[in-house]
Amino acid sequence: MNQIEIQHLNKNYGALQVLHDISLDIPVGAFVALVGPSGCGKSTLLRTIAGLETITSGTIKVAGEVVNDKAPRERDLAMVFQSYALYPHMTVEQNMSYSLRLRRRPKAEIDERVGEAARILGLEKLLKRRPKQLSGGQRQRVAMGRAIVRKPKVFLFDEPLSNLDAALRVQMRSEIRKLHKNLGATSVYVTHDQIEAMTMADLIVVLHDGRIEQIGRPLDLYRRPANRFVAGFIGSPAMNFVPAEVTADGLAVAIGAGALLRIPRAQEPGRKVLAGLRPEHLRLDGSGEQLSGVAEIVEGTGSMTFIEARVGDELLNIAHAGTFEIEAGAPLTLGIASEDIYLFDPDTGRAL
Amino acid sequence: MFQSGFVKLLRDGKGFEGTLIAAAVLYLVVFAAFPLVYTVVMSFQEVDMFTLGTLVRPFAGLENYTDLFHRPEFTPIVWNTVIFVTLSIAFQLVIGFGLALFFQQDFPGSTYVRGLFLAGWILPALVVGAVWRWIFAGDFGVLNYALQSLGLIDGQIYWLSNPAYALYSVIIANIWLGVPFNMILLSVGLAGIPGDVYEAAEMDGANAFQRFLTITLPMMGPTLGAVIALGVIFTLQQFDLVAALTQGGPANASNVAQYWSWQMSFQTYEISGGATVATMMIALVIVVAVIYVRSVQREHTF
Repeated sequence: MNQIEIQHLNKNYGALQVLHDISLDIPVGAFVALVGPSGCGKSTLLRTIAGLETITSGTIKVAGEVVNDKAPRERDLAMVFQSYALYPHMTVEQNMSYSLRLRRRPKAEIDERVGEAARILGLEKLLKRRPKQLSGGQRQRVAMGRAIVRKPKVFLFDEPLSNLDAALRVQMRSEIRKLHKNLGATSVYVTHDQIEAMTMADLIVVLHDGRIEQIGRPLDLYRRPANRFVAGFIGSPAMNFVPAEVTADGLAVAIGAGALLRIPRAQEPGRKVLAGLRPEHLRLDGSGEQLSGVAEIVEGTGSMTFIEARVGDELLNIAHAGTFEIEAGAPLTLGIASEDIYLFDPDTGRAL
Repeated sequence: MFQSGFVKLLRDGKGFEGTLIAAAVLYLVVFAAFPLVYTVVMSFQEVDMFTLGTLVRPFAGLENYTDLFHRPEFTPIVWNTVIFVTLSIAFQLVIGFGLALFFQQDFPGSTYVRGLFLAGWILPALVVGAVWRWIFAGDFGVLNYALQSLGLIDGQIYWLSNPAYALYSVIIANIWLGVPFNMILLSVGLAGIPGDVYEAAEMDGANAFQRFLTITLPMMGPTLGAVIALGVIFTLQQFDLVAALTQGGPANASNVAQYWSWQMSFQTYEISGGATVATMMIALVIVVAVIYVRSVQREHTF
């Protein structure tokens, strides 16, 4: 069963179309990440689900019911805002109990639910404080608490971690994940950070220029990107793209520098393609399909070594787990497994 | 050599800072502090035409005050002032807030029309008084004409010369004059409430009325406090409109403290009486000013 169903949704601001024919089913209890670069329409899509933005055409169903014309407050969705949007004149307790007080729930029930949310989020000692007296991470928790006490059908998260520092972000990432596991409510999570999406979501929706590029489980997107955009967006550091040409027998590609790489599936002979090589798939021991180049920049972080190498006219990024000692300017033989070579149509970007 | 040294002293560092402070303090002493203190001093002195030219006059103790309290017009004028201030502010605030909320809605031209409302406020009160004098005129005034055309009244109402209406006529004109100022200040306050707070409230299930009661009003509290305090101060200063419309008449029916003080000081030359009224108003305004300053400080706590 699907908690949210979106069919052929279009959204225009005047003449500008920001969402194009979005269709998306979100199963009950799923954690779905909407991910894409700035301006791709992911926040707008979330806000149309919330009801904070109207839609131009299409339908949005929540729990099987069309909610197109329903006000946000009638949709029973809780939202965590990027800015947290806490009520500055209310204490933490009042912030969290606000929705229950509006629904005129009995005092005992309000206290119990606020108390429970505060306990889950470790906010018990802060209940009498105002948002201004809290740190960024604490405010983030209050915003979460405000959503939790409502026990809604769906949680909507609009880049909730982007205002936190790196360490706190990693911590909150796993807390939100745990919370989702415990509460089991459907969650839609907007982020521009593909690592957040990869680590948290059951299902990732990659958006680009208002269109869905691909929907899939995190590792499926990594292993089988549908197109060049998804391939470049998912994975860090980003995939290298190198112009190449399929050989006469259709079984290999020739890369500018004269290197021949065997490819996993036969392609049309002589066809121009873009070869996609993930930095972490390029091996420094030269095993597999070989490429020779010159190391240009070497950055060691201890756990990882990042090398920028020149192969023919192309610069390739290599991510090597562990340390690797090499001088800039030294020659290098790179290897890659044949099945790790991705091919894309250079015009449409479609995966081949 | 001395000259350039002196100029340098004024221009640089501590000397420059001192010059700025001295200029501001000098201005305040001459044009604010001295008249203010002098007024308070005079309220404790016997001042008549013969002692007008000197600063040293016989000490009168609280005689000026007791004398004032025993005047027959004292109670009606104080009462008029209370009505004048209360009604003016209540209506200015409600209408101004209503307009501010109205123009907060996103519709084409909202900012321009809101700007036009300020036109009324930048008119001198004397001009506004002259315009309203015509509107209120008993025989040919447009207000009577409108009310008669609507069938609301039969005869003519002499708005400015009928003791039952005179005060309220001045109040109506003053409300009209003060609404744009209230609207602009309250608009600024409304604009300061982040949009996502409203969105969060909407997601939490608040309808428009509940959002107004639980978000807008409490978050506007400090602004409302400041606007009310400024309103009290401005209304207690509203002299021009009274002068232009009724001169406090007929028979003090529309007289208010600020106008009374002027009448005593500059028309009947009961200068100590005028100073006494002024001193009491200063005390009141100081209290209101403290409330205002507190409100403004609280504005920054959210």
